[in-house]
Amino acid sequence: MQVFLQTIVGGVSLGAVYALVALGFSLVYRTMGLVNFAHGNVVTVGAYLASTFYLSTKLPFALAMVIAIALTGAIGLVIERVLRPLENRDFDLMLIGTIGFGIVLDALIIMIWGATGRAVPSPVPSAPLDLFGLRIRTYDLVVLAIAAVATVLLVLFLSRTKRGAAMQAVAMDHEAATAVGIHVGHSNAVAFMIGGGLAALAGGLVGPLLYVSPALGGALGIKGFAAAILGGFGSIPGAIVGGLAIGILDSFTAGHFQGYSELVTFLVFTVIIMVRPTGVFGERTVNRA
Amino acid sequence: MLRRRAAAISVLAVLSAAFATGCSAPGADQESSGDNSGPIKIALVDAQSGQLSSLGAWELKGARLAIDEWNAAGGIDGRQIQLGVFDDQGDPTVGTNLARKIDSEGYIAMIGTAESAVTIAMAPILKQAQIPNITSGQSPGLVAVGSEFLFLNGPTSTTYDETLARHVVDDQGVRSIAMISNNGGYGKGEHDAFLKALRSRGVTPVADQVVTTDQKDFSAALTGIRQKNPKVIFLGAEEVESGLIVKQARDLGITATFVGAAPQGTPVFIDTAGARNAEGTIVSSPYLSNEINDASKKFAAAYRKKFNEEAELHGAKAYDGTQILLTALKTSNVATGKDLAEAIRATRYQGLLGAFAFDKTGVGIFETSIGTIQSGKLVAAS
Repeated sequence: MQVFLQTIVGGVSLGAVYALVALGFSLVYRTMGLVNFAHGNVVTVGAYLASTFYLSTKLPFALAMVIAIALTGAIGLVIERVLRPLENRDFDLMLIGTIGFGIVLDALIIMIWGATGRAVPSPVPSAPLDLFGLRIRTYDLVVLAIAAVATVLLVLFLSRTKRGAAMQAVAMDHEAATAVGIHVGHSNAVAFMIGGGLAALAGGLVGPLLYVSPALGGALGIKGFAAAILGGFGSIPGAIVGGLAIGILDSFTAGHFQGYSELVTFLVFTVIIMVRPTGVFGERTVNRA
Repeated sequence: MLRRRAAAISVLAVLSAAFATGCSAPGADQESSGDNSGPIKIALVDAQSGQLSSLGAWELKGARLAIDEWNAAGGIDGRQIQLGVFDDQGDPTVGTNLARKIDSEGYIAMIGTAESAVTIAMAPILKQAQIPNITSGQSPGLVAVGSEFLFLNGPTSTTYDETLARHVVDDQGVRSIAMISNNGGYGKGEHDAFLKALRSRGVTPVADQVVTTDQKDFSAALTGIRQKNPKVIFLGAEEVESGLIVKQARDLGITATFVGAAPQGTPVFIDTAGARNAEGTIVSSPYLSNEINDASKKFAAAYRKKFNEEAELHGAKAYDGTQILLTALKTSNVATGKDLAEAIRATRYQGLLGAFAFDKTGVGIFETSIGTIQSGKLVAAS
């Protein structure tokens, strides 16, 4: 029983990070119908930026995160601006464009920070909590809390603000949205900006849990993408559920299948997707591709 | 930009090599090494990018230091030594492509790689091309390849883990031991070698957990180990993964001592785990510190002067391996192929890791020492 619960605890904290990565994928997808393949690399950039401001400039962790989020948000804007001329013209080229951006970011990371990584000490150095023999890291609780707050803010933004409502409208029918005077380009830009910010949030938070290296975003990107698909691509609650599910699933397969865990994780994922191709919350708001 | 230029240069090199071959008479294959002019071309293949790139960076520094020393002293037979650096990204597929590439570009010997899996993948091609290779890998799988062109610049896992088991089981009398290792080339080799060393002492590990090479969360494996409450936990994984395992284990309240081989003595491991978590880790290593003797002090000083950082095991291994290769080139008057391999095998060399004397299998050293991590530094065990 203890192993069971501890496995869930271990899976949930990484699951929350996968959920944040999945949110970034989903937000861009629901708005534009585009998979942003550079997202994983933006996560790496975010992790490096946050760790650089935290370790080298000695800023408080929270402030370092905020700066990293602002900078990756700007990167998101740049990606969208460069791809904008292709919007509604050639979708495949846009996809390839995001892959190209990913490669460029990867190269930039190695040029700026080098190919070797860095370890980030936990900003919450207190000892883990002990609940009936169950150990819970305080930093995990911080990660969960921040992920929850980010999700709530995102949902409020989409449902309560004019800009958010406009983005929802674009997601549903971009031609009708254009007809009522919504600037589709602006909507897309905001989606990319928030997506970039979420990437830095995920990357910055995962830094102290893992090891920041150029390969970081690749692993998180794949798991985050799988999480988004599992939850229902484009769905906000789907991204959260999918992220946590992948995290916990990963944790359990690691315990039971040891060296074959990755294989089993993705086998289970494939079976779920075969049974429910639209994912758990498959709403399919987007049908543009 | 740099990469593009490098690509352009290599394309040019391939073209010119092809051109040269095309022009020469049939049968007179371009043994570019065979001619006695121009620089002696040695390839260094290692991960210069990806999660294992720190190994590649250290190895490059060690090899570079040795070659620069020889070049400064006038090279070999009046010829300078030229080091070509190739990035295998820690990927066996990239490695096999590079093996063909260094063959076609006329390199006569290879230093690297630091990853057993990559070296094992490259070995058949290098054997066919008759290019001697001095690797930093330590997996017993390297010996199993059975190539007379493959040499190790350090002991195999068998030696590391035999020394470790002797220290832990025989000297300290610990019999409650858990193991956690990954299923990659290195981890598998460590797992098998340590398990064998334990079995020969009649010890069965209380837990034997296997993880994948890119796993990030070890709660399930570690909670399983915690319930068995072992005194010692053996780590069979590379630097970063081992560091993550130790960090998460301490968070789970595991207080057991960790033991391991080369990766557990590196700064990357200590930084990833956190110095406090790694404290007391027992390491089996052929090169515990820069302060062991005059040779290591001299090496460390030269290393610091050149690269402005502290030397460590992997740089020392690559330095030794490169010195052995260059010595063999000198004694054989820049032989190539089989003759060079025989010259390497015949070389007796007193290196930083100890006295090298290669056997049939290409292993030259059969000894490691025990050290512990104290205040974030690896020191010899008292």
